[in-house]
Amino acid sequence: MSKMPASCREIEPHLLAAAMGEAAPPAAERVRAHVAECGECREELGRYRAVDGLVHAARRGPLPGDDATLARAQLTARLADLRSRMVSFGIFPSPLGPLLIGRSEVGVALVQYLPASGSLGGHVRRLLGEEAIEDPAATEALRAELIEYLEGRRARLDWTLDLRRTRSDFQRRVLEATAALPYGAVTSYAGIAVRIGAPSAVRPVAQALRWNPLPIVIPCHRVIGGTGDLTGYAGKRVELKQRLLAVEGVKAQPAGHHDFRVHREAMYTLMNGEVEYCLPTCGSLSSHPLSDLTLFGTRERAEAAGFAPCTSCRPDLHPLPA
Amino acid sequence: MDAGLFSQAGGTGVSTGRVMAEDAFEAVVGAHHAEIRRYLLRVTARASDADDLSQETFLRAFRAYRTLPAGANVRAWLFTIATNLGRNHFRAQSRRRRAYAAVALEAPAGAPDRADGRLIADEARARVEQVIGGLPEKQRLAFVMRKMHELGYAEIGTSLRCSEESARAHVFQALRKIRKGLDGHLPVGTERRS
Repeated sequence: MSKMPASCREIEPHLLAAAMGEAAPPAAERVRAHVAECGECREELGRYRAVDGLVHAARRGPLPGDDATLARAQLTARLADLRSRMVSFGIFPSPLGPLLIGRSEVGVALVQYLPASGSLGGHVRRLLGEEAIEDPAATEALRAELIEYLEGRRARLDWTLDLRRTRSDFQRRVLEATAALPYGAVTSYAGIAVRIGAPSAVRPVAQALRWNPLPIVIPCHRVIGGTGDLTGYAGKRVELKQRLLAVEGVKAQPAGHHDFRVHREAMYTLMNGEVEYCLPTCGSLSSHPLSDLTLFGTRERAEAAGFAPCTSCRPDLHPLPA
Repeated sequence: MDAGLFSQAGGTGVSTGRVMAEDAFEAVVGAHHAEIRRYLLRVTARASDADDLSQETFLRAFRAYRTLPAGANVRAWLFTIATNLGRNHFRAQSRRRRAYAAVALEAPAGAPDRADGRLIADEARARVEQVIGGLPEKQRLAFVMRKMHELGYAEIGTSLRCSEESARAHVFQALRKIRKGLDGHLPVGTERRS
């Protein structure tokens, strides 16, 4: 090898390329010219051609273990599992600050208020786990509807929800009862406890709503304290609750430090189980705890929710002062 | 899941894009899984490794699929993922081997056990597979991609994180070693043509 003439050394890579059939025409021509003169290289070219032929034969021949059936079946199952766990999410600005929407194959899985500043990466991982993929296109239609909702241009979010993130059957029942509260209405935590048949579980109800995976969509902002105080929302951001209620026509006045209060005497009132809504002064309504009642900020909202004005107190003839 | 309140029908049609992406991925699996598994079988020489790594390749691909630019060469991209997984696998394997060797002084023999031990009829062809199996990692990967799957040198370079020229050099070096390894197995008489 060391004694190989320079012209042979120089032609060698082209010889390999020619043997594999991938030499460019000028190089192929040089190889042809060289092997016409050089017997050693002519033999070498022949050997490489033979090797190339064997490699081709090996490629075409049977390969032991070449049966993908089992691996394919397992892959199909693993992909289905992965799909069901995957969440696509988008982050976008809103009137209430940056929001995240996450959706899975099943439905909308998560809505979260995000900190106004700082890195969101770690926050998002904690919320969504490893199988989260930022994909604004996948949540764009949801984003548009949510913004319409927050701007008061839409009263319903008819979204299919993925509730696999709920922590217990109890929480699920709380969320379902909360989702049933009409747009523009409020009741108390105790009211939700009554609705799910666990009237003494007021604090657990509040806890369950504290971990609501889908705020705004499941309207936990419509659930307030028994005194009418808004009490809490999204950590310490009760002002967001006040703003969401204001969009729906429910006014809450500042009360105490950092809280707001819905005043019952300014709200149209529905006794649970009734089909007519009343003025707050109708009959014995004012002596009932808020848990027995649903309050509406406006007549329009009460009627949009399917309730008729009471035929004795006639809220339609004697509306509350705006 | 629960129907009723939480699954109001009618919906918003928001899922359409996603569903289309998934259907497209089904087609990707159908078109490429068998070939990717064959590639991994050749470079790992074990059917069980080819099973695992081919599945992992497509699970990774599925996670990243929607971010793949339109018009990207999906096949070459899958080879890149499979190659990365294969190389991680080789590294883990050699770590395990070293651990074995240290603990038990019983390192397995150099050549990996060939798939299923079935005999290939043609001795020379078997010898080709054997020599390929004994090549250094990058040469083996580059050679199998080039000669068994006809990938371009640029694509092979992408898979091996090297230049197109280095990819070509790996393939040529592999060919030289195979040619040496086959000395005595080459059909007599093919060499001489006047």
